[in-house]
Amino acid sequence: MSKKPTVGPALHKVIMVGSGGVGKSALTLQFMYDEFVEDYEPTKADSYRKKVVLDGEEVQIDILDTAGQEDYAAIRDNYFRSGEGFLCVFSITDDESFQATQEFREQILRVKNDESIPFLLVGNKCDLNDKRKVPLSECQLRAQQWAVPYVETSAKTRENVDKVFFDLMREIRSRKTEDSKATSGRAKDRCKKRRLKCTLL
Amino acid sequence: MEFDSPEEKEFPGLYAAEAADSKSKKSKEESDFDEDHEHNKMDLLIGKRKDKKDKGKDRGYAALEGESSPEEELETKSPSKSKKSKTFKFVSSKSKEKREKSRDKEKSVEEPAHKAKDADKDKDKERERHEEKELKKKDKKKDKKDKKSKQLSQQQDEDAEEEDLAMGYPVFGVSVSLATERSRCHDGTDLPMVVRDCIDYLQEQTRNFLIYKVEPLRTELLHLKRLYNHREHNAAMALFTVPLACSLLKLFLRDLPEPMLTTDLMYDFEDVARNRRGKEQRIGLQQLMEQVPKCNRTLVGWVMLHLYAVTDQERYNKLNHESIAVLLSPTLQMSVPLMVALLRHCRTIFADIQLIQYVPPLTASSQLPEDPEDIQMELRKQDSLLTQIHSEMNAGFITKNREEQLWEVQRIITQLKRKLRSFEKKQEKSIEELDVSANQPAPAAPVAVPVGEDTTDASQPTAAPTSEVTITEEHKPGRRASSSSPVTHSIDVSDCIQVHRNEEEEPSSPSPPLYTIDGESGFVLLPESNPHREELLRLQIEYDELVALQNELKARIKTERNEVYRLNRLCEQQLLKHQAAAGSQPPKEAEYERIIEHYKRENALLEHKKQMLGKELKEERRACISLQVELRLQQF
Repeated sequence: MSKKPTVGPALHKVIMVGSGGVGKSALTLQFMYDEFVEDYEPTKADSYRKKVVLDGEEVQIDILDTAGQEDYAAIRDNYFRSGEGFLCVFSITDDESFQATQEFREQILRVKNDESIPFLLVGNKCDLNDKRKVPLSECQLRAQQWAVPYVETSAKTRENVDKVFFDLMREIRSRKTEDSKATSGRAKDRCKKRRLKCTLL
Repeated sequence: MEFDSPEEKEFPGLYAAEAADSKSKKSKEESDFDEDHEHNKMDLLIGKRKDKKDKGKDRGYAALEGESSPEEELETKSPSKSKKSKTFKFVSSKSKEKREKSRDKEKSVEEPAHKAKDADKDKDKERERHEEKELKKKDKKKDKKDKKSKQLSQQQDEDAEEEDLAMGYPVFGVSVSLATERSRCHDGTDLPMVVRDCIDYLQEQTRNFLIYKVEPLRTELLHLKRLYNHREHNAAMALFTVPLACSLLKLFLRDLPEPMLTTDLMYDFEDVARNRRGKEQRIGLQQLMEQVPKCNRTLVGWVMLHLYAVTDQERYNKLNHESIAVLLSPTLQMSVPLMVALLRHCRTIFADIQLIQYVPPLTASSQLPEDPEDIQMELRKQDSLLTQIHSEMNAGFITKNREEQLWEVQRIITQLKRKLRSFEKKQEKSIEELDVSANQPAPAAPVAVPVGEDTTDASQPTAAPTSEVTITEEHKPGRRASSSSPVTHSIDVSDCIQVHRNEEEEPSSPSPPLYTIDGESGFVLLPESNPHREELLRLQIEYDELVALQNELKARIKTERNEVYRLNRLCEQQLLKHQAAAGSQPPKEAEYERIIEHYKRENALLEHKKQMLGKELKEERRACISLQVELRLQQF
């Protein structure tokens, strides 16, 4: 709140969700600062802002890195509500984390009440392909069911790290343009607006 | 006055009460809140308003953009975009603009006020202030109008919702504890923000002749109340004038559902005030005050100490204990004799309370602190703020502004933590260098450190006081370990800052007087660095400038490492022998070995990556210290 810096490009709010230890913070830090942190420090909640150029347009991205653990579920809702796009991360070396994505998806849909909220399913740790526990086909199938893109990343090698954030921002941006078009008529419920273009599952 | 009218409707009773109270003073202003009056004023100031109009428009536009955070976009908006529809805008976005504007204004308002030392001057100032006030009001109206014409109709719904929410969780008209809970001072003082703000402001104005004498315009007062109910503290405080602050404080106190001294104890208080004198009276009041709930006591303490400070400037403001009691006792719901008695004794009764100016948590635009201690203090504040935001949101108080704030505070916390971490890393790096050099002569040194672990928890507290001399010498190795650990530690910095700091100070405190002793045991004179523990940290930050000093320390630490290694071996040999003799060492050998192994592992990692040690920070540090203590004890 309070004083605002002068110029403000569009701001896109991205939220990282997924089980503990799948690499949400690693992805975030790699994207933000080009650094890879190997040690595991559980996140409670962290928020970052970065200026990036998205298709020639300067925009700002707000990234909220959430806790994977249920212990922080209470505060998670507060963040989910204000998120405009979600990166749902699991580790391809951990089937549990893959299963958990289902729950995160449901939680997000419950809070946002919007089936077509910008959302990417992200299989992290793809540099550890030899330890893969979740078959690629299964991941793709789930993404298909949800009608969301599936991307495999490696926070360690930076593979696809930028891609997931930028892809998501593009989705958010196009959603916003749609919304503002829809707004001209009626402006009430954002969720409803979004539903207009709801993809069929 | 569309803006104020809803408030009025919400609190018709208040209105009447207030009117009755102040009838004697400014009955004319009482009725100001109706439209006619407003219009008159508007007419008077129409010129000024026009000046402000354009500015207001731009800002109004900016604040409307829903998708980007308000702070970034204020001046970006293109007018065409925001001119979509007409809407009635409530406080939320308006206050943001005001907050900005008011920064400047605040200065202009406060500066003259500070300078004012006597009544005459004050009057002039007051006139100025009134003008400014009115100006501000015009701004408000301008904004309102601008908004009306430009806002999306969507905004209206949101604002209305926000209004409802604010009404559902007001700060005024609820119990002291609830008000405190809902609008915390994030520096740990259990006082509702509005009280703190008023007192902070008025403490600077105790010589102002107008203090507690002049009533402000009701519309302005109610506007402030609304801002506080919306938690728009900054916006509200920027509008403060002496009469407004006085009346706002009074309004808050009057709105309390029960007297601050509590209904139950009221009779006893009155009884003591009436029937006892002097010391007896003071003791009686003191005892009763202990029975008052803590947040009530804090509130009474702050109010009384503040009023005492006012009467302390009687020479300027002509208010003594009796006269201020006459003015305020109805508001405080106590008799004049009781209030006089409280004023007379407040400095003794509330000796533990100090009126400290509030420094609010930083906002995104402010410069983050550089000093690690400042960072930690700020982290505590931000955490307190974050907790409050979460609890409010969980209670259903969800607005766009709240969400923005949530992200912002979270971002500041993340930044602060990162800062702290990078600082610690820097520190660690220099230590790592030292370690490298130290490890060459004594490769087993890292192992030695963990050995101490077993004794840590049990013996450390006891050992420290008993053997001060030895402790100082032994601290150094322990400190070494501790300094490397903070790196990883930073994850939960916010949670354990205090502990952390205490621990750091712990070792340094006993050491200063004992430096000279070091020589006898062959320890290098590291103690020199001990008293300057904190300084040392800073020096490392300023690494470049102080390379020379660091080199010196490196050399010393190297020697120390060797000594640690020697002592550890000695310890291992003697441990069993002495265990029986030294009652303060409970650990079992099995435990020892377990811990040693654990630490061996950790240290192996440490050699490659110091960060891995962080999670064991506290234990390890303690372990090292107590191990060294024990070794010395056994040697002697």
